[in-house]
Parts: sequence; C-alpha cells; structure tokens
Amino acid sequence: MESLRLVLSIFSALFIGWNILYIISLKNTRLSFLEKLFVSYGLGFGFISLEMFIFHFFSLKFSLFSIMVWWIPLIAAVLLVASKRRKSHRPGGKGAVTKKTPLSVLERFLICGISFEVIYAFFRALIKPIEAYDAIATYAIRSKIFYLAGSLPHDFFYNLSLLFPHPDYPLNIPLSETFVYLFLGGLNDQLVKVIFPIYFVAILGILYYAVKRLSGRAGALLFTFILATIPQFNHFATNAYHDVPFAYYCFTGTLFLLYWFKEPGSRGYLYISAVMTALAGWTKNEGFVYCVANIILLSVFLFLNRRTIKKRGLLNGFLYVGIMLLVLAPWLWVKFTANLVNSDVGSTSLEQLNIFKQSYKIWPIFYEFQRQIFGPKKWNLIWIIFILSAIVYRKKLFDESRRYATISLILIVSGYIFAYLIGRDDIWHMVGTTWSRMAMHFLPLAVYWLALLFGKFEPDI
Amino acid sequence: MKYKTLKLILAIWVILWISFLMREVFAKGGLRVYSALLNRSLDDKRSYVTGDNFYEFLVFCNDKLPEGAVYGWTKIDKADHARRRSTYYLYPHLEEEGADFLLVFNEPFSAGPGYELFAKLDDARYILKKKKKGN
Repeated sequence: MESLRLVLSIFSALFIGWNILYIISLKNTRLSFLEKLFVSYGLGFGFISLEMFIFHFFSLKFSLFSIMVWWIPLIAAVLLVASKRRKSHRPGGKGAVTKKTPLSVLERFLICGISFEVIYAFFRALIKPIEAYDAIATYAIRSKIFYLAGSLPHDFFYNLSLLFPHPDYPLNIPLSETFVYLFLGGLNDQLVKVIFPIYFVAILGILYYAVKRLSGRAGALLFTFILATIPQFNHFATNAYHDVPFAYYCFTGTLFLLYWFKEPGSRGYLYISAVMTALAGWTKNEGFVYCVANIILLSVFLFLNRRTIKKRGLLNGFLYVGIMLLVLAPWLWVKFTANLVNSDVGSTSLEQLNIFKQSYKIWPIFYEFQRQIFGPKKWNLIWIIFILSAIVYRKKLFDESRRYATISLILIVSGYIFAYLIGRDDIWHMVGTTWSRMAMHFLPLAVYWLALLFGKFEPDI
Repeated sequence: MKYKTLKLILAIWVILWISFLMREVFAKGGLRVYSALLNRSLDDKRSYVTGDNFYEFLVFCNDKLPEGAVYGWTKIDKADHARRRSTYYLYPHLEEEGADFLLVFNEPFSAGPGYELFAKLDDARYILKKKKKGN
C-alpha cells in the first residue's frame, strides 16, 4: 500500500510537471515522449515545492487536496488548448516509420551497464533511510518539521530554521520530501529517497536524447554509460544530498538554452531553460552562479548574432531574466526580508571582494582541482579525458557548434572559483570539502561537451 | 584513429568501473551492509545506520523527555554526525544551550553539580535534569 502511495506521489509530480511543460513549450519544441517525461519530473517537483512555499505567505496548511486543487485551472487550460490544437493539426496519416537498426554488441553492453547502474542506484537509495551528514542535518530535518507542522511554521525563518545548519539553503527538496510524506501518510525517510535516483535517471535520459541528436544511438549510449558509471555521481544519486537534483536543473537549464541558440524560432526551449535555471536557484544557493552564467551566455549569443536576431531577440533576453526572477521572487523575498545569509560567502566585506587580495587562495583551489582530476576512485577517467580532449581539440573548442557549451563551462567554473575567492571560510577546508560535489553540478554538461567534441560515433563493434 | 582511441579509453574505463564496483561491494563491506539491512524493518534500519546503542538511547530519550522539553548533550561535539542524527530523531524536542535536560551517552554515571538523575537506560546512557533552585 505504501509503495502504491509512493508511485502516486511521483505520478502526481510528473502529471503536474507535464501540464506545466505543455504550457511553456507551446512554441514549437521537438522533444520525444520520454524526454518530456524527464523534463516534467523536475518541473513537477520544482513547482509543487514552490507552491507549498507560497502557502507560507498565506498561512495555508499542507494537505494533498489543498496542494493539488490549485493545479486544476492549469490542467483545464491544457485540456482546452490540447483539444483546440488537435482539431487544427489533424494529421493526414501515420508519420514515416523509421526502420530500427538492430543493436550492436557494444550497444547491448552499454545498455546492460546503464541498466545495472540505474537498478543499483535505486537499490542503494532504498535499502536504508536518510542518514548521510548533510542529508539529515540540513535537509531531512526541515522536511520533518514541515510535515509535522503541516505547513511552514509562521516564524520558521526567524526562529526555528536558525537552530539548524544553513538556514539560507533553498527548500525545493525538503518541500518535495514533505509532499511525498503527505502521500505516504507518514515520515518514511527510506521510501522518500526514491526521488533522488529518479533525478539521476532523468539526467541520463535527457543526456541520451541530447547526444543522440549529435552522435546517433551508439554515441548517445556511450556518453550516457560514461555519466552513469561515474562512481561519485552514482553515489550521490542515493544518499539524499541535493547535488544530483541540482545537477539536473543546471544541466537542463543550460542544455535548453543551447537548443534555443540552434533554433531561435523555438521559444519553448528558451522558456524551459529560464524555468529550469531558476529552479536550480530554488534547489541550492550555487544555482545563482548558473543563473548569472546563463544570462551572460545569452547576452554573448545575442551580441554575436545581433545582425540576425534583432529586436525580438533582445526582448527574449529580457523575458528570460523576467521568468527567472518571477520563479525565484518568493524565495528571494524571504531570503532578503529574513536576512538569511550564507555562512561561507554571505556577508562578504568589500575587502573580500577584492579578488587580487584573495589571490593567495588560487593555489589551494588548483591543488584540489588536480586532486579531483586524478581521482579515479570518484571520477574514473572523466576529468583526464576532459582535459586531454580540450588540448587535442583546442581548435574546435570555439567553432560554431561548440562555442556556447565551451563558454558555459568556462563561466560556471569561473563562477565557482570566484565564490571560493570571496568566501570567508578557511580556503583549504572549503575547497577540500565542497569541490568534489561542485564538480558534479556541471558534470552532465561536461559529458555533453565531450560528445559535442567527438561528433558522430559509428563504431564497428 | 579516433575510434581506436575511443575503444582504448572505453576498455580502461570499464576495467576501472568494474574494479571500483567490486571494491565497494566486497572490499569495503557494501555486501555486508546490504545483507544486514535487507530484511530489517524501517526502525531496525534506522537503528543499524545510526548505531544500535545510540539509536536505542535516542528512542529512550524520545520516550522519557516531557513534551516540549529542550535538551543539551555532554561531550558530543556539535559537528559530530551522531549529534546531527540526534537532532533529527529527537525533533520536535529542540537542542538548546543551558537546557533543563542533559543527555549523557557513553559516560560513566555522574550527576554533576546542579543536576540530578532524571531517567536511566543503563549506567552509561542516561538523562540528567537541572535541579530546581532552592533544592
């Protein structure tokens, strides 16, 4: 019975996400059914948690009815639009049937490897309750408070939250956990962990379809296999830390922006990117690095293509920032009014912002970077391949098809380095304890970037 | 050339992947943990991952502490994993400095000045309560 309730909670998030996706991607996006499902999952949980957070402003209590009822107008609108579209787009017949080529030995092997890692991730997540350090101390405690109180207590940000570590951390995942608890009817801190490996699967799925468009099926399977088998990434899909859900939002946020650069007529991609990037900011503070990075990336694109894009493109740029601000507004409002500052980079003084004075921190930062690069226990060979590829394909890095992915990676890593430079904590401790998780946030994008470099993949095995 | 390099990389990747998987499951005790957890109830699993001794004490504290009581710990560091777990499991009881109730884990019995025994699980796991002024 509990398992059925769990499935229902996931299905509800998916269903709501699907409807949101339908509305924001009305403007011509070409996504497959499964790809839409993977995007819907993160959208669903992101918006449900945002809704539960907005309840706080109106002192509303959480219940399945009170949460779900607000989505009825959206679902009705989607049904209406869908029925109208169906009438105007009656297909003349079945589309061309593409002949599927049989799987090669290599492809079969890769599918087995990916399936094993996915099953193993679910197994490891669901075999034990939440117990990892930050998962329990920072996040699970908050979802327990919300569930037991049946709401966000009215003085939560001024009183209760300050008693636990990191009161400034966004609440996407704690509230998503509360949503699952509401379905389960109890605090089952074992079953609730299912949301994490599903984020993992969603990233793999989105990467698969993204690479398939570039390299074909074999290439897509190869790069999905590579991401799925990175020990650090797989491990964090199971321990209830927020890094994998966060990586999901960061990756989709950037990927859909890259899609829009390729097809500026398909504005749905731009809207999905704006929403997903904002949801990254709603999942972890580091999300603001991605918000800034994507805004800069968009500005670079608009500037380089100013002759072809014209006025409408500029409007799209404003719209992009506007959507982000709209999604983040409730959280930013609370963050500033309750003065929730980050313990590491929060109340940074002007002197700390002088990065030349902080340049002594460069050495520990690069020391930790190289420690991760040559750390096969956590990363297998991914960062070594990454560095070597950048050297070998150095002439291709900034050509038309790869330019923006390369700039995006540079912006993100620079953003993290900047945060380390201005941070108040001891630099050795800060970098040593966080970099291996930070690198996970842009790992899917790094794997996609590798696929972009390698191009078409047609092996003979 | 490109495919030869890719094949070589993939071969090394797979060898490393399988080696680290084996290491985690067999050498680092993953299999032992999984088999220990497999047939346990949720509460038993919580006990296993928290440490049976400590979890038993937390359940005891939850049972004995009066509703709304705040507590403090002796000698468990604030950043310690056990302390974080206790915060989670003991909520809605909150931790506070100078609280009326002191939780003592793995220390020989001694009431200390200003405190008296409130409840005892065994000689090393017990709850102290602040003496009222005038006693």
